Amino acid sequence: MLNYLFRRLNLLLITALILSIIAFIISLWSDNALPDQDINLFMLYMDYMTNILQGQWGISLINQKSHMLNGLIAFSSTLELCLVALLTSMIIGIPLGIFAGIYRNGILDYTIMSIALIGLALPAFWLAIMLIMLPITFDLGLPIDGNISPIYDIPLITGFQLIDSLLASDLYNLAAFVDRLAHLILPSVVLSFFLTSEIIRLTRHSISLVMKSNYIKAANTKGLTVIQIVFRHVLKNALPPIIPQLRLQLNTIISIAMTVEIVFSAQGSGVWLLTSIKGGDYLALSAAVIIISGFILLSSIVIDILQIVISPTARKMLYADK
Amino acid sequence: MLINNEFNEQKIQSPWQYIWSIFLQNNFAVFAMWVGIALILISLFADILVLYSPFSQDPQRLLSPPYWMAGGTTDHLFGTDDLGRDTLARLIKGFQFTFGGALLISFAITFIGAVIGSTAALTRGVKASVLHHLLDALLTIPTLLIALILIVLFGPSYQNSLIAVSLSLLPQFIRGIYNTIGSQLNKQYVIALRLDGATNIRLLRSGIYPNILEPIVTLVNRIFTMAILEIATLGFLGFGTQSPDIELGKLIADSIDLSSLSPWLVILPGLVIFIIIMVVNIFTEGLRHAIIQGED
Repeated sequence: MLNYLFRRLNLLLITALILSIIAFIISLWSDNALPDQDINLFMLYMDYMTNILQGQWGISLINQKSHMLNGLIAFSSTLELCLVALLTSMIIGIPLGIFAGIYRNGILDYTIMSIALIGLALPAFWLAIMLIMLPITFDLGLPIDGNISPIYDIPLITGFQLIDSLLASDLYNLAAFVDRLAHLILPSVVLSFFLTSEIIRLTRHSISLVMKSNYIKAANTKGLTVIQIVFRHVLKNALPPIIPQLRLQLNTIISIAMTVEIVFSAQGSGVWLLTSIKGGDYLALSAAVIIISGFILLSSIVIDILQIVISPTARKMLYADK
Repeated sequence: MLINNEFNEQKIQSPWQYIWSIFLQNNFAVFAMWVGIALILISLFADILVLYSPFSQDPQRLLSPPYWMAGGTTDHLFGTDDLGRDTLARLIKGFQFTFGGALLISFAITFIGAVIGSTAALTRGVKASVLHHLLDALLTIPTLLIALILIVLFGPSYQNSLIAVSLSLLPQFIRGIYNTIGSQLNKQYVIALRLDGATNIRLLRSGIYPNILEPIVTLVNRIFTMAILEIATLGFLGFGTQSPDIELGKLIADSIDLSSLSPWLVILPGLVIFIIIMVVNIFTEGLRHAIIQGED
């Protein structure tokens, strides 16, 4: 276990080094003055890293705030969208995936997999435009742009506007929270299409692998019903392997979330990067590399460790390695 | 008709023929295969196929709807855009860029990824760990960010968007190949081959690759699907193809302001993307079933 933790830490450090070098190259480039021959690149990099570690990421040309603050606020909005979409698509996707996996190659399976395929085949940005164009959007009165109506001035506490608006309930009596939720509906529906099909696919694959194994046959011969088998044996073994698979998709998910935010002009990291680059403020890009990639890196390592803690099969693999 | 009852030789099909014969029984997949071949031909000969140049403007007919709608003409089957350019021609031209780019990327990634992935899986020590860490770093940067970085460094262009998409998909493919080969390495047949003194190349060619066909088909399918989606997304955001070149995502972006006047200009390119992905996925699904059945 300690050995494993050490190896993960090693991985974290090396990957962080590569990422910081990428961020450094962008910041060098954005200065437009490539260093003269007598300036030591290594020393420049050390300077850059000291600045980053001290939290001095430069000032934005657009709103004269720190890049770190801008980036963190924008990214927390993206993250909020991702989490809401992940929650909804897990609620929809996991049961469907379980059904498809249990009744493999049946009509139910084909129907569910067709739905998943359609969800994958619809490009997210196009789906977003379609949802905006649909008359039902007008009928329901769902807001189609921005994070929250500008009449609500929510104090910045955590950066997650859902939580912030709840905390500010003494100002607006939950109206701000409801408004934020309404603004989240359409973007998260779009993102859920991709995520749900992904979760259905992974769950089905995992479940059907487990259903082939001998202990399920043994349980069948014992005369257990399908429901008993699923709840006693299948879920415990099939669900944990989905997590690392989903982890590999993190960058795709965030990329799609950023695109969706741009279409809905929500103030997330997509819009932040777009406006910064159009305004010639390239330091924002290196800040984005540090924040977004840093988040993905940290979360994947946390997920790896959690995986070891939660699932006995993953632990067994660990001991078998030795 | 010659009936040969006498020398009824029992032909033993090669595994490929067997898989192919199973595949041919699946009507959906065969249909998807023919459509896919048609799509490839269209993308190869797009310039010959179009009736109008995608850039020639027809000032008589601005924003005309498709021919099945009221006010549409059969001169322009899918209507025209705000400058009177033929939508069908623009769709085919845009399709050529998106589909062709995705095909190119998938071939390149499959080749490079298979080489790097097998090397990483079969070697231990420094080489494998360097590969791994570099890839892990790439895996943490979202596609959009890679594209933005390339644009800031080299300027927006179709080529850069293709490079950005490949850079984000290559690590996923290598990861997949690495894991599948790794799962085969402990099996008995690999050990038997190794005891025979097989070199790594022979081990891969005659041992491992025939056994991991199904995961590879799934991976390539996934890479292709994501490539289509991501090329279109980058084009839509204006980071890919630059005017006057067109691409399906860029077509949508160009006509998004007209979406209330002529929604077809936005709907059709999305439908084309949808059809491409559906066709490819149905084809590979059939292939996968055939391979799984053939292996049993």
